[in-house]
Amino acid sequence: MFAYTLTRLVYLALVLAVMSVLIFLVTQAMPGDVASMIAGQFASKEVVDAIAVKLGLDQPLIVQYGHWAAGILRGDLGRSLVLEQPIGPILMEALARSLVLAVVALFVVAVVGIGLGVLAAVRRGKLTDQLVSGVSYLGIAVPDFFWAIVLVLVFGSYMKLLPTGGYAPITDGFLPWASHLVLPVVTLVLMLLARIARLTRSSMIDVLQTNYVKFARAKGMPESVVILRHALKNALLPTITVLAIDFGLILGGVVVIETIFSYPGMGRLLLFAIQRHDLPLIQATILIVSAAYCLANLTADLLYAFVNPKIRHGMRAS
Amino acid sequence: MTDATPAQSVPRRQLPPLPVSLLVGIVLLAPLVVAAVAGSWIAPYPYDEMNIMSRLQPPGAEFWFGTDEFGRDVFSRTLVGTGSSLVMGVAATALSLLAGVPLGLIAGYKGGRAGEAIMRAMDVLMSFPPILLGILVLAVTPPAQWKAIVAIGIVYVPQVVRLTRAITLELMQEEFITAARLRGESAAYILFHEILPNIWPPLVVEASLRVVFAILLGASLSFIGMGAQPPSSDWGLMISEARPFVEQAPWIALCPGFALATAVIGINLLGDGLRALLDPRNTGAH
Amino acid sequence: MMTAPQARPAVPPVVSPAIAPEPAPLLDVRGLTISYGNARGTLRAASDVSFAIRPGEVMGLVGESGSGKSTVAMAILDLLGGGGRVDSGEILFDGVDLRRLSPSERQALRGDRIAAVFQDPFTSLNPALTVGHQIAEPLIQHKGLSPRQAAARVQDLLAEVGIRDPRRVAAAYPHELSGGMQQRALIATALGCEPKLLILDEPTTALDVTVEARIIELLAKLCDSHRLSALFVSHNLGIVNRICQTVTVLYGGVVVETGQTGRVLSRPAHPYAKGLVAALPRITAERRHRLPSIPGTVAKLAGPPAACVFAPRCPFAEETCRSQPQAMRTDEGGDGVRCWKADALAGTPWPDEDAASDRRPRAAQPRSAPLVEVDHLRKIYGASRSILPWLRRAGTVAVEDVSFTVGRGEVVGVVGESGSGKSTIGRVLLALTEPSAGTVTFDGADLTRQIGSGDQTLRRRAQLVFQNSAASLNPRKTVGAAMDRPLVLAGRADAEERRRTVASLLTRVGLPAAYADRYPHELSGGERQRVNIARALATDPDFVVCDEAVSALDVSVQANILNLLAELRDEMGLSYLFITHDIAVVSHIADRVLVVYGGTICEEGPIGRVLRPPYHPYTEALLSAVPRLAEDGQEAPRILLEDAATAPGGRGCVFAGRCPRKLGTVCDEQAPPVHETADGHRIACHIPLATLAERAAVFPELADGDTRH
Repeated sequence: MFAYTLTRLVYLALVLAVMSVLIFLVTQAMPGDVASMIAGQFASKEVVDAIAVKLGLDQPLIVQYGHWAAGILRGDLGRSLVLEQPIGPILMEALARSLVLAVVALFVVAVVGIGLGVLAAVRRGKLTDQLVSGVSYLGIAVPDFFWAIVLVLVFGSYMKLLPTGGYAPITDGFLPWASHLVLPVVTLVLMLLARIARLTRSSMIDVLQTNYVKFARAKGMPESVVILRHALKNALLPTITVLAIDFGLILGGVVVIETIFSYPGMGRLLLFAIQRHDLPLIQATILIVSAAYCLANLTADLLYAFVNPKIRHGMRAS
Repeated sequence: MTDATPAQSVPRRQLPPLPVSLLVGIVLLAPLVVAAVAGSWIAPYPYDEMNIMSRLQPPGAEFWFGTDEFGRDVFSRTLVGTGSSLVMGVAATALSLLAGVPLGLIAGYKGGRAGEAIMRAMDVLMSFPPILLGILVLAVTPPAQWKAIVAIGIVYVPQVVRLTRAITLELMQEEFITAARLRGESAAYILFHEILPNIWPPLVVEASLRVVFAILLGASLSFIGMGAQPPSSDWGLMISEARPFVEQAPWIALCPGFALATAVIGINLLGDGLRALLDPRNTGAH
Repeated sequence: MMTAPQARPAVPPVVSPAIAPEPAPLLDVRGLTISYGNARGTLRAASDVSFAIRPGEVMGLVGESGSGKSTVAMAILDLLGGGGRVDSGEILFDGVDLRRLSPSERQALRGDRIAAVFQDPFTSLNPALTVGHQIAEPLIQHKGLSPRQAAARVQDLLAEVGIRDPRRVAAAYPHELSGGMQQRALIATALGCEPKLLILDEPTTALDVTVEARIIELLAKLCDSHRLSALFVSHNLGIVNRICQTVTVLYGGVVVETGQTGRVLSRPAHPYAKGLVAALPRITAERRHRLPSIPGTVAKLAGPPAACVFAPRCPFAEETCRSQPQAMRTDEGGDGVRCWKADALAGTPWPDEDAASDRRPRAAQPRSAPLVEVDHLRKIYGASRSILPWLRRAGTVAVEDVSFTVGRGEVVGVVGESGSGKSTIGRVLLALTEPSAGTVTFDGADLTRQIGSGDQTLRRRAQLVFQNSAASLNPRKTVGAAMDRPLVLAGRADAEERRRTVASLLTRVGLPAAYADRYPHELSGGERQRVNIARALATDPDFVVCDEAVSALDVSVQANILNLLAELRDEMGLSYLFITHDIAVVSHIADRVLVVYGGTICEEGPIGRVLRPPYHPYTEALLSAVPRLAEDGQEAPRILLEDAATAPGGRGCVFAGRCPRKLGTVCDEQAPPVHETADGHRIACHIPLATLAERAAVFPELADGDTRH
């Protein structure tokens, strides 16, 4: 297990290095250069050039990348051109808010999705099963932004139950904080629920047909023990992987949902940076989002290995 | 030796019944395909005809699904937008298959350095969250729909490569591939005549799911202004444009929303049906 | 559901007060009829099945694939699943009809008074739970033990089933144990609540012969010491003979014969039982002998049988058999047979294969150069070099320094258990895997190099017949298309001529030429294996590797295919490398045998020599583990090996870890010397040849004189 984790970490570092090069190169090709943006629309060419020299923009790309990468390794993500602030704190704040969204949404999805999946698998082919699959179809049939709009319309505009957007820090009190989370979380859950429920259902059905489940029944175990202890433990492996990846996705910012609900997370920050051509902010945001996604993927694999004794022990032995 | 049912000599070549989900899927998709092909002819109004006098009209006899803030007929716009929305999904999926299947076959069949290099490159691509990769491509240049298609195509290449490679590797262990190698078949023959026919059923199913994701992702990109551009009536864009008026005129978003849902459900059912139909065990005895 | 003929009281008395000379049966199955239903129709899996098991008695339920034997076992456990349904009949356990109990009452019986062990230990244990936990579960559930009490009892149980370090095994996860250990753990689970009845569904089929021998020994001992009754479901007559007092033979869901094991297996009354016993491959040194076989395949029934189920395949069938269903006739001794001609056929044996043995075998060509020469072959899997030090691996040795030859027209058998490297040897010989070291010479040319350089002509001269007849045919190609390709590759341009060749090849392997249009899934297992052979022959090879080619087939079909392979060798002068785990099968076809263990050859020689002393200690254990029928002669004392195996690749003898005759440290530290005699018999062992020769023959019935070489 230790060797495996180490290998994966080395590999992760390599992937992130390659990604940083890619991100840097691609964003360099963006229209509008940094120097003229700082100088402003009416600055003379001399002023622009002077700023470029000061920022090191006249140097070869590789040197510029070196500066940028070295800065990141020191923990310095640069300064935002538009916000005129260091990027680090802005990013951390946005990341923290996306984290809140991810944790709450994933918790709900895991509990409801796995529950529905198990229920559908146990009642396979019966009415419950068809109901679950019908509901999950509904969830994936319409894009998240459509659900978001509907939810805003119903709970915000018509019923005036919940705020339709924005974010309240927990220091304002639990209720305002939670009420701002409800609609984005429900939208996310609708988006993710179907996949988790269907995945759990299909792996549960596979596991219920295995010999060890049959043997557990032959031992006279009650059906609840057979399903919860013998089957679910094995059926959850693929679900866990997908949940961890989804976690990475939400952490990296769900651009559309954050935009609709004006939720100040990573997604909205990124869109803001792109729309305002804030190059350093774009680079830093994309890098952090990708890193978060990779880390979530890694966690998924490690978790999978940890839950599965076959892999866990195999790796300890080798 | 279990009591598995051995195949028996049964009446042969009986056509398997068409799966219900396939039929329902076709029924749902048929009108959409018609709209995609002939939308601008059957639409009651030109999709971009503005009419200030009839802004934000609710659904009625004149405008079946109402009008938007410029007085454009929502139904006509939805009809005409079908092409844009469906093409986005289908073209992007085709692109990812075109690039992904050969790469996956090479990675699976040849393995070695080339295969390793392909898979590592895919790992890097997969390390970007899907929508981010699209945004990254689109952020560089002014947005345009074809760029969104390319971006979505690239996003799904790694998944197609991974799937193709996985199936190829599995098939390479099959004894009928060993038999082909033993009788001295060339690599090309094994790839195209032994492996490919067994790969395409799962690929078709996968592709149908991909189309759904691609349509949704395309709509999302259009929604945040990085896909189709105004005055196009792409569904994602329409819903985005409808957002400020959703309290006064929810019908503007409703019509493209329903169309999107129909397309997604239809394609999903089609995929499920195809999976059942293409299962080789379903062609005859069992 | 309740269609039982006689109405019974809802709750019958638990103990029948009848004063009978015999104790009342513990399990009494009466008229059990089971069918499987799905959208496409119903299939009768068992028709009017009746049998009884007395306390302390082990009954064998014998049959081939599709006979319904496992279905009956599952019905007793109420675990039919998958659309299975008991239509009628009674399952009386201790006088209580199980079918009248509620599902929860039956669940309470399962694992407590009726326990089960299934076929595949590798999949019967939950991979996510420790072995100890899984054994403890029924103790906590049925006996109300606390987890702590249960844990103590688990240790006792594991010790009772012969596990040396119960503490470690209880804490282990299933994948950390060998197959034999896993099966012991399952048996311990079944014994936990001290059941009255054991349902054993093919409990040793997935295991190696030497492991199987130990498990059977254990089961026999436990049934005896605990006064257990057992229903032993098996396709293997030899094992049934070893452990069962009575036997019930199923065919097509119908009981065709029942009686004392010794009587049924030595003097079978029903034609099917006669065929089954006759078709069983026995150890023989007479390779020309053709095995009797049962033609045809099992027919599927949708409803009650309208004729004798076996009539279509029965050589003694008459018009009456085809028009009337047969009734069971039971004598006062409890022996029953479902055949109206049984008495008339009492002395008649199953007909021998005709004419096959008349064919004059080709003269061996000992002088000419061998067709295949394998020289110092070595194969290592999974070795990897990496810049990360913790990822470097030395790999697993699959084959270690193996050398042998195959002559023209010669059949060389390779016998070994799982992990012996026997399949790897075959794959390297066909250039499907590259050897790590050593060479394979085919007809004077270096095969690996030749094929590496793109020359395919040599490759077509060596072909393979696979074990899994289903997987070796492309499911999307017709039989004809699959056989057409080799001909195209051989440059046969005329499509009509190719079609004729395909037809003649199909006819050659005993299939109708019309099968060319069929898809693989439309054929039975035996038919597919014939197609496999026909396809291998299409390239006109000199050399065919048969990798467990008959192992997945039922005994009656196996005999068929074995005979076909022998015929083809005689007619076409083919050489075979016949890879198998079954030494009885190999003795029917091979001229010479290699006994492989842990990637090395431990004994090699003409079949007649290998079957007689001197033996390599492993060969001796392997031979003594072969299950046999009573009529086959006195059984030698069985040599039982430890479960544990040492990984190959060490310095000493690979068998040292399990060897019952290990000399001492010399076995661990030095590679064994090879003793060779004049007739090509070679044994790799530290024990002197003279000492090895002192052992008694495992098969004294093989007379000394019939060596062919």
